Amino acid sequence: MPALRSFRIGGLRDDELAKSAKEHGLALRVDELRRIADRLGRDPSIVEVHAFDAQWSEHCSYKSSRHLLRKLPTDGPTVMQGPAEDAGILHLGEWKGDRYGVVIAHESHNHPSQVVPFEGAATGVGGIVRDVLCMGAEIIAIADPLRFGRVEDPESHQRYVAQGAVDGVGAYGNAIGVPNIAGDVYFDERFDDNCLVNVVALGLVKESEIIHSAAPANSVGWDIVLVGKATDTSGFGGAAFSSVTLDEADEDANKGAVQVPDPFLKNVIVRASYRAFEYLREHGITAGFKDLGAGGIMGCSAELCSSGGFGAIVDLDDVNTALENMPPEVIAIGETQERLCWIVPPDVTPQILRIYNEEFSLPQIARGACAVVIGAVQKQMHYVLRAGDEIVMDVPIDFLTGSIRDPLAVNEPPAQAAVDPRERFVEEELDPSEVFAQVLGHRDVCSRAPLFKQYDAVVRGTTVIPRGGADAGVIAPVHGSPLAVALSVAGNPRYGKLDARRAAAMSVVESARKVAAVGARPLGLTDCLNFGNPQNPAHYTELVVAIDGLAEASVALGTPFVSGNVSLYNEAKNGNAIPASPIVACVGGLQNVASVVTMPLKRVGTILYYIGEAQNAIGGSVLAEVLGVNAAPLPQLDLLRARMEIETLLGAAGEGLILSAHAVSNGGVLTAVAEMTFATLRRTAIGVQLDDPCVWTQGQIGDLEALFGESGGFVVEVADQERFEKFCEDFPFVHEIGMTIDQPVIAVDEDAFDIRALHEAWAEPLTEVYV
Amino acid sequence: MSRRTIAIGLKIPDNEAYTALTALRRLGVEVARLERAVIWQFEDAGDERDFVARVERNETLFNQNKHELQVLEAGEPRSGETWIEELGAHDNVRGHLGGKGIAGITRARRFVAWRLFATHGEPAGAATVNDAVTKLLCNPAIERARIG
Amino acid sequence: MSARLAVLVFPGTNSEEETLRLARDVGIDAHIVHWSRAQTLGAYDAYVLPGGFAHEDRIRAGAVAAHDAMMDAVIDGAQRGKLVLGICNGAQIALEAGLVPGTGPVRKPTAAFTRNGPVPKFVCKHVYVKLAIEPKRCAITAGLPQDALIPAWAAHGEGRLAASDEHLREITAGGHLAFVYAHADGTVDASATPNGSAMGCAGLVNAAGNVLAIMPHPERDAWNFNHLDRREDGDVLAPSGGAALFRSFAEALR
Repeated sequence: MPALRSFRIGGLRDDELAKSAKEHGLALRVDELRRIADRLGRDPSIVEVHAFDAQWSEHCSYKSSRHLLRKLPTDGPTVMQGPAEDAGILHLGEWKGDRYGVVIAHESHNHPSQVVPFEGAATGVGGIVRDVLCMGAEIIAIADPLRFGRVEDPESHQRYVAQGAVDGVGAYGNAIGVPNIAGDVYFDERFDDNCLVNVVALGLVKESEIIHSAAPANSVGWDIVLVGKATDTSGFGGAAFSSVTLDEADEDANKGAVQVPDPFLKNVIVRASYRAFEYLREHGITAGFKDLGAGGIMGCSAELCSSGGFGAIVDLDDVNTALENMPPEVIAIGETQERLCWIVPPDVTPQILRIYNEEFSLPQIARGACAVVIGAVQKQMHYVLRAGDEIVMDVPIDFLTGSIRDPLAVNEPPAQAAVDPRERFVEEELDPSEVFAQVLGHRDVCSRAPLFKQYDAVVRGTTVIPRGGADAGVIAPVHGSPLAVALSVAGNPRYGKLDARRAAAMSVVESARKVAAVGARPLGLTDCLNFGNPQNPAHYTELVVAIDGLAEASVALGTPFVSGNVSLYNEAKNGNAIPASPIVACVGGLQNVASVVTMPLKRVGTILYYIGEAQNAIGGSVLAEVLGVNAAPLPQLDLLRARMEIETLLGAAGEGLILSAHAVSNGGVLTAVAEMTFATLRRTAIGVQLDDPCVWTQGQIGDLEALFGESGGFVVEVADQERFEKFCEDFPFVHEIGMTIDQPVIAVDEDAFDIRALHEAWAEPLTEVYV
Repeated sequence: MSRRTIAIGLKIPDNEAYTALTALRRLGVEVARLERAVIWQFEDAGDERDFVARVERNETLFNQNKHELQVLEAGEPRSGETWIEELGAHDNVRGHLGGKGIAGITRARRFVAWRLFATHGEPAGAATVNDAVTKLLCNPAIERARIG
Repeated sequence: MSARLAVLVFPGTNSEEETLRLARDVGIDAHIVHWSRAQTLGAYDAYVLPGGFAHEDRIRAGAVAAHDAMMDAVIDGAQRGKLVLGICNGAQIALEAGLVPGTGPVRKPTAAFTRNGPVPKFVCKHVYVKLAIEPKRCAITAGLPQDALIPAWAAHGEGRLAASDEHLREITAGGHLAFVYAHADGTVDASATPNGSAMGCAGLVNAAGNVLAIMPHPERDAWNFNHLDRREDGDVLAPSGGAALFRSFAEALR
């Protein structure tokens, strides 16, 4: 039992204990501290109490969300591995006798990015690629859904965050050589005090070569090998830091909880790890592999061993540290970046050490970096840490890593507004010409190119559709094979403000729509649930109902969730909390990359169709903001119809009937059409003649709502009208809306808009923020 | 308007200095230790008393957990030191200092300072510094070196 | 026996895989050579310095790599007429190593691919480069047609050619300006250049014509699936577009 400094619990009153916890920088509550002392039968040591503080933080334990997340469907024919480990795996297809899986992981790095945007965002990318790597996978793509505050003022912290986070994502991804193929960005005052930097990473792995984040069977006595950067004092308290609200007064102190990224070292570690995978494969060795994230060495080694049903004993003196005389709790729990942990048989250890230390010369790449044995798997289900001659931690491993649950209050969920699709919310009858340019120039619609042109979208040479080329990015990651992977993200904060549940369902549908728009079949989903303080019943209720929304949409589309992340406490002391932000990423698969559908219009004289059904409800839409209509409800979401829209598009694309396609989202059908014309501007512009909307809505819907409402669906370009209509004859929600013409205009009934002028309105707004 | 010069160094291990040291030794330059810092030379219309506070508020330049800031008396490299400046880069205050800039600062020149030490901890001689500059630290096509 | 090509991997290189794949797909006997095996480089007949951030571009892009032990073999080989192609970071290394334009001593750079202008930021943009020399002036481009137009991706923060005015004149007069940025129709003007590069320079060649340095990446727009809208004849997986430069390289190695 630990002899060193203990954290006094016994004999203290609740208020004294709370004060002491605060002084030690602990986020653990008094009841949790007492539970620890009761179970251990003594006061915990300082190291132990910090270990529990990290492991029982929301970030590690999902204590307010784990029981809710069980509602999400996680099974299906496409699932190779569900959400048990750091990343899920979806079945992409077969090639030369191997079953290929796409690994997907999704995480947030919100708090760090708000405080130190460059480092926060960069380490976000660094962390998510490790989650993918440790499944034994090659890292093949990243994506970055971003939410920033108001950036109009060049002097504001919000502008600094919006620029710094993008620089950080770019600097890290570019350096490690992984293409950034998808992402989105929204700007809203509700993100002024809490930006969201979510990151998604994809990997590629053969099913037979998956490595698990668990000590393998019969691994008692195997070595625990730490790989990477020398442990320093950065990132101590990181897990707890992301599990409380940000307090502006603490901002400088918080900067210390942010880790320092080293993408150069990571580039080398990734390549060395690929070499280690190769060695293990060649020799038929099963090993355990996991990245170090929240909870540092302690969290990673404890989870690896407890998942295998074992305990562990780790000697902190063997850890490569950057400084002398670091306190044991900082070595054990600090979140220094660029580290991974192997569990390997002792006779294999010398080879693993040789690969990292000699072949890839980690010690020459960064001072103190290396691979080193720090401990061993033990049979006794205890987690033991040694430092010097002392045992500084000795606790039951299941108690440390096991599931805990916070009792939290939930409000009565708000009733879902029933919407009559025919009821109008716009009073006056405006001409489309009065709003078209405003919609295209709206901060949520305008071109994102000024931002993502800083990201390498094409490194690895596998890119089929880079950012901006369509609704989803597409890569062909298996060399010599026509298999292709699509990736999209969705999560509209304007919807989240109005109705968390429907917004969540819409995130699922929109992300699936986006991969379908490139002709890919949605294979599976991940989510990052970004919400306010769960101790506030109103915000906790949003989380609860949002998970219901995700679950119902996921079931309806037959697209399971295979991994995810929860980020709570996105709330400032002044009460400014983010809107419900369930952000969803969708992976799509194509058996043949030749059947990819792209967004630009292809030729003149083709027919445009709208696959979907316009509604009058414009709540949460860009149009509502432009018109200043705030009270309108979100459009009704018919999940069955949404699935049929996707199936119709995929079926028609499979028949080769679709020349180009674009999912309808922010800014509605007319915005989608405009974006399809913009990409043709670099050659001979193709224009569009749209029919009067009352023709394709049978006059049931207002013109503005039909053109700019966000009722979902797709706009598609079709050459063979007869075959397409025959193909769609059983599906009533397909409407001919116009045709392509050889003039550079978009004509809506009588109005003609110059495409170049529209393009300028769309292309300009973000160039000021992202020069 | 006053000219003020500061050096911003890293508190955390400086991998770039580590690499440069290794490379210089490989090139036969006799250097035992190497330090790196970013030098800023400002034209400042503001008050000297809150100068450091104003600079430290600029998040692009300074993060107290990563950096240490030193106000330099001399606007010139010290003995054993070279300052490398990118040609044509010093006219862009906004570009250097990020969107917020720094109140009172109207001009900013940026240098990378390399400080070379010989075996017994003393500053390296001018010949050694010059050797390091011509062999590695400065590309004269795009940079200019000042030697202390 | 066919000529063997080494694709060099420095610590920080990140484009070795696609470079290797393309070289092999156009019939070159190509192999990755990692920094821990620098001593084996002498046995290869030609070299590619691929893209990435060798040694994290510490000090300057390409500066540390130019002095890496791996470059001893490359510089030695180049002086003996072996073919060397530097792409992106590899081009920066070739300049820092003094291999291109090659008018001065080795490892005494006379120019640089440096920070983009006017916006000093990383830019990822599809471009075209146009051959600005007689094809046979450079062994690696000898198989290309006159005025060849090659699609590629610019993906760099430091791709602007900078040198003194006098040296820029020397680069032009010596026929070192191998590639310039162009539009899709082959026209050349300042707006085609993504990074403010002097003379619209996208690539440089040495006097002997055996070392070519090119900033944008032809190997990232090199298979039909990379550009479905510009797909050429043949399988969707077939090399095309930017592969033209590697095909010409393959011919030179035959």
